[in-house]
Amino acid sequence: MALLELKGITAGYGQNVILRDFNLNVERGEFVSLLGSSGCGKTTTLRLIAGFSEPMQGTISFDGRDYTHVPLHKRNFGFVFQSYALFPHMTVFDNVAFGLKMRKLDKAVIQRDVMQMLKLVDLEGFENRYPREMSGGQRQRVALARAMVIKPDLMLFDEPLSNLDAKLRVKMRVEIRRIQQELGFTAIYVTHDQEECFAISDKVAIMNKGLIEQMDAPSTIYNSPNTEFIARFVGFENFFELTRMQSGGFAAADGTAIRVADQKPGERFKGCIRPEDVQVRPAGEKGPNAIPGEVMVSTFLGRHNQLNVKTAIGEFVVSADQTQAFPIGTAVTLVLTENKIKLIG
Amino acid sequence: MKPSVNRKNRWIAAALVLPGVLFVVFFMLIPLFSLCLTSFFPDELFSLSSYFSLFGDVYFQQVFVRSLRLSLLSTAVCALLGFPTAYYIAKHSRHKGMMMAFAVFPMFTSPVIRSFSWMVILGKKGIVNSALVSLGIFAKPQGLLYNEFSMTVGFVQLFLPLMILSLIGVMDHIPDDLSEAAGSLGATKLGAFFHVVFPLSISGLVTGSVLVFTGCMTAYTTPQLLGGTDTRVLATMIYQYAMSLRDWTQASVVAVVMIVVTMMISGVFNALSRKINPMA
Repeated sequence: MALLELKGITAGYGQNVILRDFNLNVERGEFVSLLGSSGCGKTTTLRLIAGFSEPMQGTISFDGRDYTHVPLHKRNFGFVFQSYALFPHMTVFDNVAFGLKMRKLDKAVIQRDVMQMLKLVDLEGFENRYPREMSGGQRQRVALARAMVIKPDLMLFDEPLSNLDAKLRVKMRVEIRRIQQELGFTAIYVTHDQEECFAISDKVAIMNKGLIEQMDAPSTIYNSPNTEFIARFVGFENFFELTRMQSGGFAAADGTAIRVADQKPGERFKGCIRPEDVQVRPAGEKGPNAIPGEVMVSTFLGRHNQLNVKTAIGEFVVSADQTQAFPIGTAVTLVLTENKIKLIG
Repeated sequence: MKPSVNRKNRWIAAALVLPGVLFVVFFMLIPLFSLCLTSFFPDELFSLSSYFSLFGDVYFQQVFVRSLRLSLLSTAVCALLGFPTAYYIAKHSRHKGMMMAFAVFPMFTSPVIRSFSWMVILGKKGIVNSALVSLGIFAKPQGLLYNEFSMTVGFVQLFLPLMILSLIGVMDHIPDDLSEAAGSLGATKLGAFFHVVFPLSISGLVTGSVLVFTGCMTAYTTPQLLGGTDTRVLATMIYQYAMSLRDWTQASVVAVVMIVVTMMISGVFNALSRKINPMA
């Protein structure tokens, strides 16, 4: 049985229902990310798990116990806020010690645990500072230490790195992953940054309009998206109709035969392919998966040129060698790499 | 030619504050200074004799202590009543604007009218006494007026809005996720309040307390109308010296004492707050 189970959850604010019949299972020791654009319900889900709000319907169980109505302060879940939510009137030490003091632990134990945790997040010597005297990255680490020192049964992260600059973000996500592996806690991590959540998670749940569209390992999601929404999310930009022929191969909308390595049961599909997996060849070239087209727009993007190419089976976005010029109107041939085409049901 | 523009702007800025500064200098600082002078030169010669004789006077001692006691008590009552009210309005009210309008509504009437209202309410035939007698709690109407009780009631009603407004101003800026963070770390709602919301509200409590305390110490109408002849406070005493006894020296001595004490107590409030929240 999963460590955390959300079953048939409906939640929202008043008339505004954000989650409807929502389900989620998280196994012990897993690092699960909830990924999605703003308003998809990922933060609502996290706040339900934390106990900041209660669902209108459905149950939350943790470790076999019904947690739906267990009050916030009895859950023993660590929460890291986007804003850090450090107590401004307390020193770093007192911030980190807060949860231990609430548990009425012995002073010596508190002292030991806090110092140990500050060492883990590389903040030794900062215990007498106030949050306002620290940088964003340091505050983030205080927030991390404060949530982890209570030895939580579950760690919840609400876009913890979104207020940091790009370099620090990369450094901190490695740090969070390292600490998670070292302490072995189960974590749920909310973000809208695809790279970040792929880098940090065992499993990624991609959310759309209050539902999980796909929950899998990052590589599975990246390579085999289940739906067009996910495919677009992970960088597939070209979609075209495919119909299975009697021979077993596929035909595009205009009847052109397309070879596809991906296998799936069914008759009608959408094929999709990333811009970098489409080769741009001179006009007139023949061969498998070769489609004639005409350049509509050419955009310089540094590493490559992005071309919008009109073809008989739709417009394609492709990446072309940036040293070669493709004036508007140039006739080209696009070759769709056989084993890079994914089928979507 | 940026510097000259800046210099010009500075002059304009200075010109903008000039009327206010002149007003304060001529109608506050200079009179205040001459007030102090009067108190130190009772007979054209420097002497502290007025102060010595004043503090040696048993009647003054009583009035002085009463003023302090009533002001501190009223401040405490305002804090106790104002804190939950402000907390509710700032953190849990859906109609914040309307609630704040209600809170400051009493300030739209003059203290005179409000004192008269209390005379009606607390008088021998007022609604409070009628209720107490008809409920059988007292056999006959109680003397609720012209004593320290009625004065405290008057002060609290007069200055409670200041306390509430000061607190709301500060509580508004306490992020809600701090309470959530405290909760997720194991604090009960009450615990989160005392460990987080309360210490962070201290600066508002101090501002409110200073305003209420200063107001109570210096209020004249309320103690004059709701107090009796045996419950004089410093403000009414100054009036007595100045207008009834025509003793301007003595009046200015009391005034200086009042200013100094008010400033000292305000300083104490501030020091206390810094103990609770060093970052405030």
